[in-house]
Amino acid sequence: MWKYVKNWIEIRIGLSELIRTHLTGYLVPANLNIFHTLGFVALVGFIVQVITGILLLTYYVPQPDHAFKSVQNIMVNVPYGWLFRLMHVVGSNLIVIAVGGHMLSVFFMNSYKKPRELTWFAGASMLLITLAFCLSGYLLPWSQLSYWATTIVTNLPSALPYLGALAVTCLQGGQNVSGVTLGRFFALHVVVLPLLLLALVSVHLFLVRRIGISSPPFGRAGEKKPWTAFRHEDHPGGTPFFPHFVLKEAYMVMVFFALLFLILTFAPTLFLPEDANMPADPFKTPAHIKPEWYFLAPYQMLKLVPNKFAGVSLQIIMTLVFLFWPFLDTNKEDNLLKRRVLFAGFVAVFIGWVVLTVWGKYS
Amino acid sequence: MDWAGNTTAMTNRREFLQKLLALLGLTTFASFLYPFFKYFSPPAGQAGAGTFVLSKADIPVGEAKETVVNNTPCVVINRPDKGFIVLSRVCTHLGCLVDYQKDKKRLLCPCHAGIYDLSGNVTSGPPPKPLQQFPIKVEGNSIIIG
Repeated sequence: MWKYVKNWIEIRIGLSELIRTHLTGYLVPANLNIFHTLGFVALVGFIVQVITGILLLTYYVPQPDHAFKSVQNIMVNVPYGWLFRLMHVVGSNLIVIAVGGHMLSVFFMNSYKKPRELTWFAGASMLLITLAFCLSGYLLPWSQLSYWATTIVTNLPSALPYLGALAVTCLQGGQNVSGVTLGRFFALHVVVLPLLLLALVSVHLFLVRRIGISSPPFGRAGEKKPWTAFRHEDHPGGTPFFPHFVLKEAYMVMVFFALLFLILTFAPTLFLPEDANMPADPFKTPAHIKPEWYFLAPYQMLKLVPNKFAGVSLQIIMTLVFLFWPFLDTNKEDNLLKRRVLFAGFVAVFIGWVVLTVWGKYS
Repeated sequence: MDWAGNTTAMTNRREFLQKLLALLGLTTFASFLYPFFKYFSPPAGQAGAGTFVLSKADIPVGEAKETVVNNTPCVVINRPDKGFIVLSRVCTHLGCLVDYQKDKKRLLCPCHAGIYDLSGNVTSGPPPKPLQQFPIKVEGNSIIIG
């Protein structure tokens, strides 16, 4: 029976040739490490978010009078509602770690260099979209934390002259965060951002497959051929994508799930502070409101820079440098360890980010 | 060369159609873009022309009372030296609501530690401008805001 089905498919789409060219016969560098799997881990994480998100949608009501109650209902009354909501909450944080780790490893291995500038740009855009997902999803439970965190973020453009005030009213749909804002963020979170992400994932994967996986600069034998015309980077003598590299990816996916369920079991409220369990009160800003851990560094930076325009502009400039980094770094050397100034800058920025995060947490 | 052997006429016609197509495309795009932006720009809120009355007896010297005037969260402070003042509680930094701190005689924003004096002026922190002040009249036992 199976043989018949296989033959039926084979005649119609040439399955064995597809498997040979894209899986078993597709050779990747033999020295790929687990950091190369983080992109796939993030993709699996997004699939988990889509599934749990759809499940949450069946009970969630995007209306200020009902949003908080509907989330409480999911947590308390709906069978296993707490599980799917916590998977969604914890999963979003793990995705940020996976995507951030993926970007860091790409930077460290200088894999963004010619001809992969667009691959980096698509990946960096996806990191920003991931953060936009987190921000827009944050408001949906309509808790004290979500209400005031959104108030702060949607007021950020007000620092910019001319269009800043217009941008704030367009984001909030009025003079402050209200039901209109909730509707806008809901539409962003469940329709606009998923479609954007899907488009970017497609572009990113197309570029990775079209150009070929870059080999790590460490321990590479022989000279690299210059990129004067388009070519696919082949890896003769490499290992087959399937089963060798897929097994490595499967291993890291299981690490992702192990971490997810470890947090769900032993620290379920890790990403849900007390203010996340109180309904939004538009007339009372809670004391010591803090953003999620991945926004602590920019939050602390805003506190430290005395001028609002300078603080927001600095963050916009840093984001643009991050997005367009491959176009700014034109040095041909692709081993970061041989570029001491860049390496020192990278370490300084990383330590600065960690210090600002810890400072923001305990300030 | 077209079926009639007239290359120039064909090219001209194609160029004309290309330009017409671009014009139609731009018109369609602009016709969509304008309502798109208008759709997301909310209509201006109703001007707060109403007045709001409080009793002086509700706010002893040194105390403050939080209230809402024309949809804006406000605080009415009875300053020991300068009398009553009504300030918006919306921090001019990023929109959090400031809290009156009686013992320190100041207003503190809990989000990014912006500090204002009891006249609404910034004394420290990132807020770029003073708190909005509402006009008041004190008549007899009443404080009339607005």
